[in-house]
Amino acid sequence: MSPRRAAPSLLQRWASWDNFLAGLTILVLVYAILAVPNFFTAFNISQAIAGVSERALIMLPMVVLIVAREIDLSVASILALSSVVFGMLIQAGMPMLPAILLTLVAGAACGAFNGAMVTVLGLPSLIVTLATMAMFRGIGYILLGVNSINVFPDAFLDFGIDNVPGTPVPWTIVPFLVLAPVFAIALQKMAIGRRIYAIGGNPEVARYSGVRLGRTVFWLFVLSGAICALAGMVYAARLSNARADNALGIELDVITIALLGGINVFGGKGRLTGVLWALLLVATIRNVLGLLQIGGDAQGTVIGLLLIVSLMAGNAAEQVFGRLRARLPLLKHDG
Amino acid sequence: MRKNLGMTLLLATGLALLASTAIAAEQCATAPVTVGFLPKLDTDPYFQVAQTGAEEAAGEIGGKAIKEAPSQATAEAQVQFINNLVSQQVGVIAISANDANAVAPALRRAAQQGVRVVSYDSDVATAARTVFLNQAKGDSLAEMMLESMGQLINYDGDFAILSSTPTATNQNAWIDYMKAKMKADSKFAKMNLVQVAYGQESEQVNQQQALALAQAFPNLKGIIIPAGIGLPAAARALDQAGLLDKIKLTGLAPATLIKKYIEGGNVQDIWWNVKDLGYLTYYAAQQVAMCKVTGKEGETFKAGRLGDFTVGKDGEVVLGPAKIVTPQNIDEFKF
Repeated sequence: MSPRRAAPSLLQRWASWDNFLAGLTILVLVYAILAVPNFFTAFNISQAIAGVSERALIMLPMVVLIVAREIDLSVASILALSSVVFGMLIQAGMPMLPAILLTLVAGAACGAFNGAMVTVLGLPSLIVTLATMAMFRGIGYILLGVNSINVFPDAFLDFGIDNVPGTPVPWTIVPFLVLAPVFAIALQKMAIGRRIYAIGGNPEVARYSGVRLGRTVFWLFVLSGAICALAGMVYAARLSNARADNALGIELDVITIALLGGINVFGGKGRLTGVLWALLLVATIRNVLGLLQIGGDAQGTVIGLLLIVSLMAGNAAEQVFGRLRARLPLLKHDG
Repeated sequence: MRKNLGMTLLLATGLALLASTAIAAEQCATAPVTVGFLPKLDTDPYFQVAQTGAEEAAGEIGGKAIKEAPSQATAEAQVQFINNLVSQQVGVIAISANDANAVAPALRRAAQQGVRVVSYDSDVATAARTVFLNQAKGDSLAEMMLESMGQLINYDGDFAILSSTPTATNQNAWIDYMKAKMKADSKFAKMNLVQVAYGQESEQVNQQQALALAQAFPNLKGIIIPAGIGLPAAARALDQAGLLDKIKLTGLAPATLIKKYIEGGNVQDIWWNVKDLGYLTYYAAQQVAMCKVTGKEGETFKAGRLGDFTVGKDGEVVLGPAKIVTPQNIDEFKF
């Protein structure tokens, strides 16, 4: 009996959306390394990584918010406003460290505004952040107009352009590499993570079980704002450019990747690890298409198709996985 | 999920171990190289026409012209494509910049990898490229628009200007130039500028403004429209109102968009051969790759059927004076 039992239990452990994405990503990577000229070079790999620095950062709080049944559409606008604020502080002669701290505070304040609207006034976050998406970027335009600030301290620009010495890892991805494990552990191993899943899974039950729902959601928005500010500075360093139209429209990229990564749009479901695979998958596909000389419009089409096909595959797979999981107890009874 | 996290980290470490490729030395090409064209926007017909010129030139002197562009006209999107072209080891990147300063760091990084850079259509920061292939000098465009209006109304009578927006830098400079020229040159002494109106880059507003000018100034004989959206829109509106015989138009717009009005004789246009811009850019890029052009003022090179060109101040090469498009030469303009 034991071999019969071993096979389904292995399947059961591996049958998940995360692993499906992981498998697909590795497949694409292997294909790229073997078959796409110039893919596996230090320059290409490091630039491909640098290119997703801000999206990767913003992804972290976005996933947590969607799990908690909220959403933040204003992320790219907070990013842009923060880059403008940072640029103006530097232009005004402030040293880098206080400028960085103040910018983080500004981002957190934007997030606090979102959070207060949602938790104190009880407005839906979809609508609140749709409004602040226009508002925050608008403030950026009021502050700086259509101009840009391009003069930054050398240390800041080096951070935006250089790699960690001796590796092809760009400095711009380091904030993400530091924060990602923290988010993964907090969300999936700690009490706060269970609370967030509870809020998203069933807010009423969570409330009656003593979760201080409003306070948690408020601080999630503040966190989102602060990380967007961090992403704003990473962006400004990478492009040596602070202006109000920075990162226009990347909130949709981020949400697309989160959904592809298996985060349920109605909250309470999905894992950060799946999203990280989705990020890697989309970045690799865009890079490979670029190397094959396929332009931006066609790339967007491919990514869109990928999302739809994987949602369909995901639905089908969910049924198969479900059946596999359901069969296991039966076999246990048999044994 | 812990396994997935582990794999992600493993992958990151794997990347870190990727040996850095040696930075290519500044080498001069001995044979024609691949030139990667990076326009502002994918599928923009302007750049597609320019590309046919580049391909014509590649057919004449060898090498290869490839084109890749983003689906959004932003600097960030262009940076990804700069990196992609570097990864593909093109010899020269020819870029039309969405933001002169924001793409500069990526271009300098490209230069460190041994890729040379030229700009065309829309310049980048001077330090980030060898030469800029400019379609036409701004002053000469303004002078030709005034001259064209003079020809249309026999240098006598009231005319108006329908510009783009009150803050458009190029247009305002041209208008100032035209006013100064009218004062200084007795040829234009009988011409009288009655009003400067603005079409706000909108087809509808341009149509309304053109008709409003016709009503407000019964003796109006012509309108100069230095904006690509405005001239076709105004021509259509005045044509439908039966006013084109009375009020002549000239300005700046793709010639093919107003071909039938030009053929009717009541509309002229200042335009250049867009295909030739791509042709010239390709020739210049190959010269730069072979170190025969380094961007110094006074250098000369030959560009096939277009003849000899001289590098001007700040590494600028001008395609040549634009042309006044008339029924006689309209067939030269494919865009």
